[in-house]
Amino acid sequence: MDKLALAAILVSFIGAGVIPLLPQKAAKWVCQAGAAIAFLFVLILTVRFGTGGTHATTTTLLSVGDIQVFGLTVDSLSVLIGFAVVFIGFLITVYSGAYLNAGNREHPDSGRRRYYAFLLAFIGAMAGLVFSSTIIGQLVFFEITGACSWGLIGYYEKPRALRSAMKALLVTHLASIGLYVAAAYLLLGTGSFALAGMAGLGDTAKVIVLFGILIAAWGKSAQLPFHVWLPDAMEAPTPISAYLHAASMVKVGVYIFARAIASSGEVPPVVGIVGATMAVVTLIYGFVMYLPQKDLKRLLAYSTITQLSYIFLALSLASLGSELAFKGAIAHIFNHAFAKTLFFLVAGALSYTCGTRMLPSLRGIMKRMPLVGIAFCVAALAITGVPPFNGFFSKFVIFAGGFEVSGQHLLILPLIVLAMIESIGSFAWFLRWVGFSVPGPSSTEVATAAPLPVAMQVVLVTLVIMSVCSSFIAASWLG
Amino acid sequence: MHGIQLVNALAGLLVITSLLVIEAKKPATSAILYALQSSVLVLVFLALAATTRAHELYVWSGTAFVTKVVLVPVIMYRALGSLHDPATPEGGLGATRALLLAAAVVVLSFLAVSSVQLPAIAELKPALAISLAHFFLGLTCIVTQRNILKQIFGYCLMENGSHLTLALMAPKAPEIVEIGIATDAIFAVIIMVVIGTRIFRTLGTLDSRQLTELKG
Amino acid sequence: MALLTLLPVPLIAALVQLTACHFRPLSRRTVEAVHLASIALVLVLSLLTVRGVAVHGPVTALGHWLHVDALGAVFLALIGVVGFLTGLYSIAYMRHDLAHGEVDDRKLGVYYGFFSLFLFTMLLVVTANNIIMMWVAVEATTLGSAFLVALYGKRSSLEAAWKYLVICTVGVAFGLYGTVLVYANVAAAPVGIEGAAFWTVLLQHADVLDPTLAKIAFVFVLVGFGTKAGLFPMHAWLPDAHSEAPSPTSALLSAVLLNCALFIVIRFDILVSKAVGPAFPHMLLLGLGVLSLAVAALFVVVQRDLKRLLAYSSVENMGLIAIALGIGGPLGVMAALLHTVNHSLAKALLFCGSGNILMKYGTRDLDTVKGVLRVAPVSGVLLMAGALALGGMPPFNVFVSEFLTVTAGIDAGYGWLMIVCLVLLTVVLAAFVRMIAGSILGASPPTVAKGDVGPLALAPMAVLLVMMLIMGVRVPAPVAGLLREASAIVLATEGSDALALRMPWQNATTVTLAEPVDAGRPTCSPNALRRTEIEDHACSNRY
Repeated sequence: MDKLALAAILVSFIGAGVIPLLPQKAAKWVCQAGAAIAFLFVLILTVRFGTGGTHATTTTLLSVGDIQVFGLTVDSLSVLIGFAVVFIGFLITVYSGAYLNAGNREHPDSGRRRYYAFLLAFIGAMAGLVFSSTIIGQLVFFEITGACSWGLIGYYEKPRALRSAMKALLVTHLASIGLYVAAAYLLLGTGSFALAGMAGLGDTAKVIVLFGILIAAWGKSAQLPFHVWLPDAMEAPTPISAYLHAASMVKVGVYIFARAIASSGEVPPVVGIVGATMAVVTLIYGFVMYLPQKDLKRLLAYSTITQLSYIFLALSLASLGSELAFKGAIAHIFNHAFAKTLFFLVAGALSYTCGTRMLPSLRGIMKRMPLVGIAFCVAALAITGVPPFNGFFSKFVIFAGGFEVSGQHLLILPLIVLAMIESIGSFAWFLRWVGFSVPGPSSTEVATAAPLPVAMQVVLVTLVIMSVCSSFIAASWLG
Repeated sequence: MHGIQLVNALAGLLVITSLLVIEAKKPATSAILYALQSSVLVLVFLALAATTRAHELYVWSGTAFVTKVVLVPVIMYRALGSLHDPATPEGGLGATRALLLAAAVVVLSFLAVSSVQLPAIAELKPALAISLAHFFLGLTCIVTQRNILKQIFGYCLMENGSHLTLALMAPKAPEIVEIGIATDAIFAVIIMVVIGTRIFRTLGTLDSRQLTELKG
Repeated sequence: MALLTLLPVPLIAALVQLTACHFRPLSRRTVEAVHLASIALVLVLSLLTVRGVAVHGPVTALGHWLHVDALGAVFLALIGVVGFLTGLYSIAYMRHDLAHGEVDDRKLGVYYGFFSLFLFTMLLVVTANNIIMMWVAVEATTLGSAFLVALYGKRSSLEAAWKYLVICTVGVAFGLYGTVLVYANVAAAPVGIEGAAFWTVLLQHADVLDPTLAKIAFVFVLVGFGTKAGLFPMHAWLPDAHSEAPSPTSALLSAVLLNCALFIVIRFDILVSKAVGPAFPHMLLLGLGVLSLAVAALFVVVQRDLKRLLAYSSVENMGLIAIALGIGGPLGVMAALLHTVNHSLAKALLFCGSGNILMKYGTRDLDTVKGVLRVAPVSGVLLMAGALALGGMPPFNVFVSEFLTVTAGIDAGYGWLMIVCLVLLTVVLAAFVRMIAGSILGASPPTVAKGDVGPLALAPMAVLLVMMLIMGVRVPAPVAGLLREASAIVLATEGSDALALRMPWQNATTVTLAEPVDAGRPTCSPNALRRTEIEDHACSNRY
């Protein structure tokens, strides 16, 4: 079992190492092949795990003396998220192959080796982080994802892009100090880096470790006060934005926090209270920031921030004892990944074909490009949590979990109410833009749009399907 | 004991000669004064050798004579003769301030040394304090002098200070230790003179404040 | 007796080269052949010596004059490996300088001669047993390398050489004073100790040191050899000398020479800790280390000259090593030694990379150097990886030792200080990332011809990068063993058992591990995860 996970990680890194040595033309194919193989491994792993052919395991791969340094955990949490991460990574490589060419109306580009090498390494690092059984392994991959995102956000090499890339790296690195401290405490307290050891820590040490992880998680998941890097990261090529926002960078944060909550047994309530409060504060901030945005990608950036706040809220509720909220959080990580990827790739398709992603000039998409129009609607409804799309189910479970917990912690109730208000508000706001952009006569930019490459169409269709189905997969998986 | 008083007195003389080296107007004069100062040092060694019956110290005074009284002054005298830069302003503190500073350094050194509890040097504490003070006087010379060749004298004075400390505290040290230190010091002086000469030829100045290309 | 043959090799090579170029310059090929033979022999013999130490314990030779224990062996191995790689790189670099008229045949001989002499003096520092000879050797390293710094004879290089000479000889004079104090103190002890200048003897009789004198001596030693190690506030010479020297020499200065000075500080730290307890020397080391780290981090950020940036990063890393030493304990010492090795490899790589940039662009001004990745792709990738690694990015080695330092600090109760250090390290990372973004990425100027420097210059860098990766992923067993033994030597004074290093977490009681999340089970919730004592292969059936 763990061999499949290990193989997926290694294939990605080896591919990434090989790409710089090859001629430029080969880079795209090696990247796609690498991602495809990695996906295949993870798919087999998922199917075998899901059909009950195997059980949860932790394998130590590297230890120094008797300290476990790196290992792989294969359990229902890591397999589910690992599947989403590698699957979406694969879809992104396919989409990128078509997106990065001279026909792109917004950013004509030839698709250089650096892009594909960093992207493949990114997929590998994400898989590594998800399957890592130790906190030091998480820290290592945390930093590697930071480095990869830096390489990719700055890909167009414009001064603004390079500045944004540096911002993303440094802000998340600053937040990673929390993870350094947490890792040090865990090692000193348990004599091992194994996350599973967190349950055995004393209360003080556990709170320090959890807060360290929470701070690092806020950094990667762009929560207050570390949110500044995410809207700027829009300078990245759009497929990369999709990956950063949906399945990689920002999911690092929530995932390590989820893993920590799951591993630490009884969690002192202070962690949940602080986590939930910060989540709702960020939620409101993110919602307010929706309003002035005209650039579709920036709007999506703030939407990402709020969706991650939901997950933090859910995880905080879980740490306060709600089993339901934990499942909701995991399901939301999974669902949001597909829905947000779809939304970004719609934005990418629009900028590829129309040369702009400014909302005011995008009108009447349905008439000219039905597929993109449908995808736009599906993405918007899924993100805002309208049934029967995936976002609804996970949000619903999170709210249910919230009411469950509010019996013991009175503070939680107003937080949940605030979150629900936000949910309705964001629904209204997205509905407004959908109504503005999708139906009706086409604007000039849309009417003269270039045709959409087949590869991009295939990816959009796959994601539309997943945006409907993913919640059922998650629900049956999590039971 | 008579010998020890002689040692302490000679050590006091060292401070005076080193002040002369620092405050001499012409660099060439400094070279001659440095030879004088080193002769005093050799005398201290001889006095110590006689008092403590450390035969190794006779060898020391021999090497010290060759390197410090003869070689270094000769090298410096020749270097200073060929490298004359009238534009380099006189550095230094001026006689009064130098004297005050020297007094302060000596007092501080006495205080520092007073808490040391070693029976072997109980009576030589004044000389030990002076050797420490001498070391810092050399440092002062380097910091205050603007002529880079005179900064080399500062180094030599520091080196004399530590040499004296060694002689006071470990008169029975093997000769090879002392020879190693002396040889290194000679090489240091030679190389500093060589680089100093090249600086003079390239930059046309001996003023250390003109060396301002590299900053930050 | 690899040790006895090791020392004469570079000395003879140096004498041959220097004598020859004094009379009649040898042909370029002969000079290079002698050089190559010298560095290759130094590599082989030093590694043989290190292996001997690892297998049979400390080696003593020439009466008691030479002594290599595990601690010395770590530094000896660094001199051998980094000396060889930068020596190899020198060949490509100096050929380029020769072709472009920066140096002539005579200067080439001078360069290689002093290179070998410099190697010899550094070898002497780490193998000397007599503390006075140690000092002599350190002083000699300054004298040997001053000419390397001044090689180009330009205004700035002469200025740098002068500052280097004056500050370091003065600094090292402090070192001499401290050394003399320690030696004389033990030699004058009433019990009468034979050979008090020998390190091995001193260590056994550290208890006779007068506490006041021992403290004064340590201050002198720290100021003296700390100057040479580039610790703040005595670092003023370092950015100048490191930036003005030919790049391979910069690499050697930064990656090896600083370590040699630090080695002596460690030696005296051991001795003084034994005499007056570790509190005093550790407080000084920690203080200087934090200051060095803080000041250097701020200077690194504002540098617009690549080599000065790297030089300040050396100050920063020396500060970090001093911090780790100041924290002390098994973990701190281990972190310090590991960081010494890691910093050496990384800094050698980057200084060689700066040499490539000089070869291609003829300048190291970061505002002029643009688009290295497009001009020289391999150099660009190596520099980029090296800079990120030096900034503490995993999976490279610097990350490991920085993390260990932080862990040691937290264990010793310096939690907040460690967070400050991590923030400062983020500042350094920012400087490196900015350097990459500004100079390595981006469009290249049309005036610079495309095409990388030759394989002879790239190969040593590639080797260094691979070594960094290996040290980052898993420290090879022989290296780890050597580092462990070396730490034991440093710690022998702190009252811990020298042979069995007890890391802090080994005191932890039985650890309870949570099971992997198995959400398929009906009981899945974080709080329902039952804590169980399990082995590494934690298994639970999934239904």
